[in-house]
Amino acid sequence: MKMNESFLRLTLCAALAAASVLFAGGTAEAKVRVVTSTPDFAAIAREIGGDRVDVESLAKGYQDPHFVDAKPIYITKLNRADVLVYNGLDLEVGWLPILVTGARNSNISTLNSPGNVDASRFLTNVLDVPTGPVDRSMGDVHPSGNPHYMLDPRNGLLVAKGIMEKLSEADPENAAYYEENYRNFAKLLELKIGEWLQELAPYKGTKVVSYHKNLDYFTRWAGFEDAGYIEPKPGIPPTPSHVADLIKKMEAEDVKLVLASNYYPQKTPRIIAEKTGAAFLPLPTSVGGEAGINTYFDLFDAIVGEITSALESRSGAAENAGLMRGAI
Amino acid sequence: MSVRRVIAVLVISLITGQAWLHEEVFAQGSDDIQKELNELKQMMEKMQKRIDDLEEKNRALELKAEEREEDVLVKDEDVVVKEETVTVPAAPSQQQDQGFLGKVVQSLNPEISVIALITPAWYSLNNPVVFAENDPENTGVNMQEIEVGFQSVVDPYFRFDSFSSFRTEGVELEEAYGTTLFSMPLNSQLRIGRARAKFGRINQIHRHAQNFVTLPIVAAEFLGEHLNPTSVEASFLVPVPWFLELSASGGSPDVETPTFGRSPDANNIGNLLYIFHMANFFDVGESLGVSLGASFATGSNASGPDERSNLYGVDFFAKYRPLKNNPYQEVSLQSEFMWRQAETPEEELEDYGFYAEGIYRFAKRWNTGLRFDFVDTNTPVEEADEDGLEGETSSLFGMPRQEEGDSREEATLGLPGRIYRISPMLTFNATEFSRIRLQYDYLNGQDYGPNQHAIFLQFQYAIGAHGAHPF
Repeated sequence: MKMNESFLRLTLCAALAAASVLFAGGTAEAKVRVVTSTPDFAAIAREIGGDRVDVESLAKGYQDPHFVDAKPIYITKLNRADVLVYNGLDLEVGWLPILVTGARNSNISTLNSPGNVDASRFLTNVLDVPTGPVDRSMGDVHPSGNPHYMLDPRNGLLVAKGIMEKLSEADPENAAYYEENYRNFAKLLELKIGEWLQELAPYKGTKVVSYHKNLDYFTRWAGFEDAGYIEPKPGIPPTPSHVADLIKKMEAEDVKLVLASNYYPQKTPRIIAEKTGAAFLPLPTSVGGEAGINTYFDLFDAIVGEITSALESRSGAAENAGLMRGAI
Repeated sequence: MSVRRVIAVLVISLITGQAWLHEEVFAQGSDDIQKELNELKQMMEKMQKRIDDLEEKNRALELKAEEREEDVLVKDEDVVVKEETVTVPAAPSQQQDQGFLGKVVQSLNPEISVIALITPAWYSLNNPVVFAENDPENTGVNMQEIEVGFQSVVDPYFRFDSFSSFRTEGVELEEAYGTTLFSMPLNSQLRIGRARAKFGRINQIHRHAQNFVTLPIVAAEFLGEHLNPTSVEASFLVPVPWFLELSASGGSPDVETPTFGRSPDANNIGNLLYIFHMANFFDVGESLGVSLGASFATGSNASGPDERSNLYGVDFFAKYRPLKNNPYQEVSLQSEFMWRQAETPEEELEDYGFYAEGIYRFAKRWNTGLRFDFVDTNTPVEEADEDGLEGETSSLFGMPRQEEGDSREEATLGLPGRIYRISPMLTFNATEFSRIRLQYDYLNGQDYGPNQHAIFLQFQYAIGAHGAHPF
């Protein structure tokens, strides 16, 4: 009796599986489906792909891209993707590989798959590639280099070109369209880079303390000088002794700017800034990092704008103080 | 590259400097001098051209090396790059990274990881009641598990993952399975080999990724630590707006568990172990995710040639993690209920159990939680007759393990009766790779035995490849 019952259940399950066959039918759609790990790539893919692509990012711009939950719903999205664009350099190592394996999708499933796009391959220069031996006593080291390269807009150009090529491969019919969009995007970005650099030019050599090493690409591009990090080691939260040392160092070197991605804890950077009289800026560091930042241009407009206005008001204040002193 | 550039810049500046000098000195000179000057100028121009050519060649080589066809950077952009390479110590480019490290990264060896669980424990009873093999066994320092993992892509079509669990008592091949990577009809995926079966939730979570030092009693009693038969499993991703996965597997119950075992009539295909699972996941807004699942397993048990066990399970998991403002705070609830029917030559057993746990992560590195465990098996069984049975008879009855020679052993052979346990814990994750966990267990044996208190301090270390964070 028992046997029969269980086999009845067996057939029931088989029927369920068979039912899924019926539902699995055609989802034919002309648009190229692009899934990206972070919103920066999504923003660029939208610029290049225009109305010929559907683009979705798994992580949100206000989320720490190291620690994204590997929600099963992402498997469903990756299952339908034609192209997956991700950061690489181990940024998503904790959550993306398991999703890609679960996605059952030949377009993206291995490094060699046509739609598996590791955007770090488009770079010409990666910062912080360890030259000596590394181990995890150094914190959350990335053996292949600092992965936060999208904060240098010149890398945006390289990645855009790479995405254009990959989209053209996935959808050769629209290759000319993608190329045109890319040219327009690149032209505008080059123009904007010039503008941003002009805005930043007066503050060249400004010493900066940041929370995590994720702003290095930006500070180098902007001509700032990294004076230290609030994390004692990458990924390790600040300790009181480290903070005390940092404050001493900042006072000795007259560091007047503290930066942190807006997804990092804001309390410690704020205290450090208060104690040293520096300005603290919680910055959006990805598209979507703040309301209103919808494109790659918006992102740098916001970052450059916030930094320059903070430095301007600071130097203005300093001048005023000087004048006051002069008057007395 | 940058060194050459610096040299080029130096040469250029030298030459232009020379030119400027010549002009200064011979500005008001005669025709001869003018001639000489012209010759010099021509020479300089030639040199300049040669330098340009060299630079051009240099750049071409660089481009070739980097496999870049176009220089998309703007001119003043270019200047910035040059400045950077001169003033800032040049960042090593990917291509230069061909040292030892590059080779290590590029090697085709599988990813290797080792994770150790070492647990000092204190039990209030001299013969502590322990449910799962991986739980700390007694007062003292316990080596719970050393898990060694090898993982890699095999080729464009498969990947292979294997995990062995080293313990004081020996080694268990916990998992070793291939997974298909290519698209198959019906959005299906095959896993072939020994794997933690898709049954419920905790069965799929490795020990080091679980939230408590001890395994839920229901998992220990009904699944036997974990259900990992060697089997072929097919899972289907059903195209609905949420995540819906149906899976079915059939295989050999080659790992004895309290519920399933190899039948003496093992070559009968109906006596293999079949496991079915349905997993659902819904996103309720961006901060809350809910997962609901149902499972069913059926197969022979070792109590007789035609005796079967059926195991039913439902699982629930919800995680609330606000993405804005408090990025490292999260609350999760997880619960599973299992109901078992087991035939023995003497009688039919029915029993059930469940656990529910809540975890609150209150800082990036800290979390705390509480678990409630309950198993109700009001049908303690006499030890089965061993005639005609293939060893392992008592495995079906999965009694708590006790020290040998314990007088209670004979009397309590069978299911543990009604038991509940309450376990609060506090965890500090120093990094993603090390962890310290403090846990207290209060076990109430009710009609089964005396109450038991236990305190654990678990140390966990992970080296090697960076594992995935399970959801």
